[in-house]
Amino acid sequence: MNLFLLYLLLFKAVITSFSGLASLPIVRNDFVVKRHVLTDRQLNTAIVAGQTGPGPNGLYLVSVGYFAAGLPGAAAGLIALITPAFVIIPLMSWIGKYAEIPRIRSAIHAVILASAGLLMAAAIPLARDAAAGPLAIAIIVVSFVVLAFTRIETWWVMLGGALVGLGAKLLG
Amino acid sequence: MPAPTLRQLTGVFLRIGNTTFGGGLPTIAALQRELVERNDWLSPEDYALAFSLARVTPGTNVIAFCAAVGARILGFRGALAATLAETAPSAVLAILMTQGYETWRSNAWVMAGIAGTIAAVAGMMWASAWWMLKPYLRGVGGALRSLVITMAAFAAFWKLGLGPVSVIGLAAVVGVLWKEPESEAALPTDTDL
Repeated sequence: MNLFLLYLLLFKAVITSFSGLASLPIVRNDFVVKRHVLTDRQLNTAIVAGQTGPGPNGLYLVSVGYFAAGLPGAAAGLIALITPAFVIIPLMSWIGKYAEIPRIRSAIHAVILASAGLLMAAAIPLARDAAAGPLAIAIIVVSFVVLAFTRIETWWVMLGGALVGLGAKLLG
Repeated sequence: MPAPTLRQLTGVFLRIGNTTFGGGLPTIAALQRELVERNDWLSPEDYALAFSLARVTPGTNVIAFCAAVGARILGFRGALAATLAETAPSAVLAILMTQGYETWRSNAWVMAGIAGTIAAVAGMMWASAWWMLKPYLRGVGGALRSLVITMAAFAAFWKLGLGPVSVIGLAAVVGVLWKEPESEAALPTDTDL
């Protein structure tokens, strides 16, 4: 498949969606239904590969590009995934100009508080998935305490979680 | 507010972006902790602005968030470095996983490591929520207002099933109508968080 066309199709899917997997119906329509570049099975594999690893949602587009045109296709998928994000830069400086007005400040602070609430809620399903036993609950609690009350770098706690998971497996 | 070198900034996005499992919100939470709390490269206001605007920017929220905070900290080169550092290594991993997914899923060792990380991520998200809330818990009136807004957002998302965009939009409206107390208006000073 032509790389530029591949980029355009994936770009279209990204720019018309507002979260990682919202682009999926458009991608399926273009690549599976209309052009027969991918099978449904390949699309599913792409989604699983994109969701299992670390990194942002929407990485499945890299796998879709890979199926469509090999490594150059994967690169086209990555660029298509990133480019729409740059719209935010002019948006940010435009709105930033009004940030000193007291009522706007008050609104921005309310948004910070609401996003704290959103984070707390979004962590619940994750904790439920993870809390398969006392060990996982212990990791959750230790992670919270260490990160809330010390300034240790986040990455070490993630690594610690992985090591504890592996250690528990080692001990059976 | 100290500015990092491009290398330092890229390092943070490389480490956070590619080791945090569970999608956009955990990544944004971890970045909040690194950029705002630990390093003081980004003000809480800019963080909030980037967070809300990322929701209304097309595509994956966390990538737009990286572009916004990268640009705010080091200009366009910061945005480019942040988005690439956030996505490229994970993209390589996604390709490897595409090739060998079946083998990976049946590997109990890999899954044990990932399970431990997911548990740590859940704790990290609550810790981040705490860091965000803490500076607004000063003065009885201010603290009460802060808790009401936070818990209302929590309940609206968790119990009422409102989407994050609606919750953030509603919070902005509440913030305009229910002005914060004057003593709090000078907050946060970013230095004593």
